Amino acid sequence: MVFSTVLLFLIVILPIITLIVGTVNIDTSNFRYLWNNLLLDYSLDTMYLVLITSFFSLLFGVLPAWYISTNNFTGKNIYDILLYLPLAIPAYIMAFTYSDILSYTGPLQSFARNYFPDLVSFLNQDYLQIEVLGVIMALALYPYIYTACRLSFSLIGANYIDLSRSLGMSRTKTFYKIIIPLSRVSIFSGLFLVIMEVLNEYGAVKYFGVNTFTSGIFRSWYSMQDVETASLLAVFLFFVIVLFFSVERFFNSRYNFNYKPNTKKFRHENPSTSKKIFIHIISFIPVFLGFIVPLLFIIGNVIYEFERIDFYKVFNLTSNTFIVSLIASIIIVLIAVYFQFLKRIIKNKILTVFNEAISLTYALPGAVIGLSLIIMFTSFPFKSEVLLGSFIVLIYAYVMRYMAVGISPLKSSFEKHPSSYDDTAVNLGMSPIKLFKSIHLPINKSAIAIAFLITFVDIIKELPITLILRPFNFDTLAVQTYEYAIEEMIPKSSIYSLTIVMMGVILLIFLKKIVNKEIDVSGS
Amino acid sequence: MNKYFYALLLLFLGSCSSNNKNSNVINIYSQRHYNVDELQYKNFEKLTGIKVNVTKANADELIQRMKNEGNSSPADLFITVDVGKLWQGGEMGLFQEFNDQSVFNNIDPELLDPNNLWVPLTYRSRVIVYSNERVNKDELSTYEDLSDEKWKGKLLVRSSSNAYNQALLSSLVENLGSEKTTKWSEAVVANFARSPKGNDRDQVKAIAAGQGDIAIVNSYYIGLLLSSEKEEEINAGKAVSVFFPNQGDGERGAHINVSGIALTKNSPNKENAIKLIKYLTSGEAQKTYVTNSYEYSVNPTVQPDEIVQGWGEFKKDPVDLNSLGKNRSEAIRIFDKTGWK
Repeated sequence: MVFSTVLLFLIVILPIITLIVGTVNIDTSNFRYLWNNLLLDYSLDTMYLVLITSFFSLLFGVLPAWYISTNNFTGKNIYDILLYLPLAIPAYIMAFTYSDILSYTGPLQSFARNYFPDLVSFLNQDYLQIEVLGVIMALALYPYIYTACRLSFSLIGANYIDLSRSLGMSRTKTFYKIIIPLSRVSIFSGLFLVIMEVLNEYGAVKYFGVNTFTSGIFRSWYSMQDVETASLLAVFLFFVIVLFFSVERFFNSRYNFNYKPNTKKFRHENPSTSKKIFIHIISFIPVFLGFIVPLLFIIGNVIYEFERIDFYKVFNLTSNTFIVSLIASIIIVLIAVYFQFLKRIIKNKILTVFNEAISLTYALPGAVIGLSLIIMFTSFPFKSEVLLGSFIVLIYAYVMRYMAVGISPLKSSFEKHPSSYDDTAVNLGMSPIKLFKSIHLPINKSAIAIAFLITFVDIIKELPITLILRPFNFDTLAVQTYEYAIEEMIPKSSIYSLTIVMMGVILLIFLKKIVNKEIDVSGS
Repeated sequence: MNKYFYALLLLFLGSCSSNNKNSNVINIYSQRHYNVDELQYKNFEKLTGIKVNVTKANADELIQRMKNEGNSSPADLFITVDVGKLWQGGEMGLFQEFNDQSVFNNIDPELLDPNNLWVPLTYRSRVIVYSNERVNKDELSTYEDLSDEKWKGKLLVRSSSNAYNQALLSSLVENLGSEKTTKWSEAVVANFARSPKGNDRDQVKAIAAGQGDIAIVNSYYIGLLLSSEKEEEINAGKAVSVFFPNQGDGERGAHINVSGIALTKNSPNKENAIKLIKYLTSGEAQKTYVTNSYEYSVNPTVQPDEIVQGWGEFKKDPVDLNSLGKNRSEAIRIFDKTGWK
């Protein structure tokens, strides 16, 4: 079993190894050129964008999650669903949409010119700024943090809260001194996903004139035709992220979280009217800006273009998208469950390391994964012209990229359950298969479903990998959206982005139901 | 025993080759995907019954892909909007010669590839547009003049990562040399109204918004703005006028770039591919291009769209178009050195 794990692990990270190995013998003059001229700018821009996006994601994600988890008020359930939904809108769509909405010829300023001429000069700004992009990306990505916090806040036993209150801590202090530290791991894992998405982003940052590290990778690869330097930069970025990730793990490994399944259920507060208003505002803003506004804009475009839509093409692309995402998600969940299960029954240090490491492929921008696969399948000993340009490579790339997304909820779920389960089962003479089927599978059912849904939603939005590796004549909804958007034909792209959003919304509503069931089960 | 073995082998080989020779198709790797291209392919299919398969992506990605696919690449044709990429593909040995005088007779000889590795389909000029309100036409003259201090804080242009700007700078390197071009780029960057962002149409909108006075854009975008279905965009297009630089006596002419097509080295459907090349350079297809995308035809007898005609005729920079590819790396280095993001 350990062997199969090692094999699986190697298969997943093999392309990275190819990439790293490929950089060993390169001529570093191009790299030095980049280092001297551009890397400082790229790094600063990247860090600044990450900072702004993180700040606003936390703002939009943590506060609503807290209030919804701890208060009762009308509309709570509706907000709870809506707050997930911006995840259905790809970040680059959000960016193109808002740049159109805010632009000089867009609806906001046009409206002002017709009805509020006094506001015109105030509204007439250059909105293509890094700060604006940060807020836009936060609107698209905060649901990662919202989900993580929502789960975490609900699972924190009422005991902690009651205890701290009886010790005289104010509500605010309780929040900062007890709740946040206890939720650290969850908040961080959500934030990690947000940051990875920012680092992966290419289309939106290019358009807004923000030069991130990833831009540098593409500049070498595309503009200078220097695949080696691009690989070197990608590997450098990869190691920085690995370092960052390892440091965080080191600090968090000192904490062990035990969620007692029989903790007292959380008592929801009934807030005062003024507090209710405050809660409504806090919850409404992310929903309004992150989902309602972009959705209305997209729908408006679809109505406008309605007669010219090629519905056959929409259907074709939808089924393409659905099938590849389905296959890849299933594979990811299978591998993730396998790894987590093995980790429990075989207490092997190597397995633990592999488990962590397999998530690291998330740290590579999608296009770099595409690049590494192309390099891998065109060089000895994996040279294969049949595989390259086939679905197998495409799905392989998806699995590599989104493994981390699938593992994350499964990891928390598997780790939550005490090891006494396994020890007892072994004592009772259960075989591993029986152990899995009768214990681990049922108790982790929700997490498996969550992992599948989140991965699925991510893959239907995926862009760079699909652009590079897709087979001939095979497009997905995301690819078609992008093709129109960068050709400055946003209205034409809208039916495709609307389809992505609708698919995502349906999946996310399912997700929400499962997460809520999980919360109820654990709290009772 | 031997007989059966050879029969099986033949059957096997026979079935293999028919996989490659899909009777009536062509496979195109294309960077262009405007509506007009879809229209052209549909018309071609109606005419010849040959199905056109298109994979649309960034030219660099496609080039990498063709390079990696090698001899078994399914692509017959490669189409780009930047002649520099065509040159590059040629350099990398991805194309085969296409030498058909009947086709070339319909094309302006200035636009042809001396190596016969690619065929031009349309061309466009990278022009200066200026605010009707705030700029007098007499203030404009050449690309070189854009480095003059009088434009400080007034010049708008998109990022240097865009191929159109890279091609323009490549032509300057070819015409003026690296050193002068570097000085030019430095001075131009100092004149920027804002750090480069957005696309060409955004620069025009920024002029309309008063955020700058002049911009460097591709000619056809003005046509697209003026024929937009959004009134606001038409207004933005009307707020500016088109100026072709370097038209004076003794001047070299305005920079152009060519959208072109190349026949891949191991094209599996060569005959069909050649038919498409002939079709796209024919009068009918050329007229379709100019009326839909506001580009110029490579056929000197085909007139551009009315809107485009309204800008007047202009002298084209006759520089070897392949230099727009040869000087590309140098151009990018100059952009980086001079801080043109």
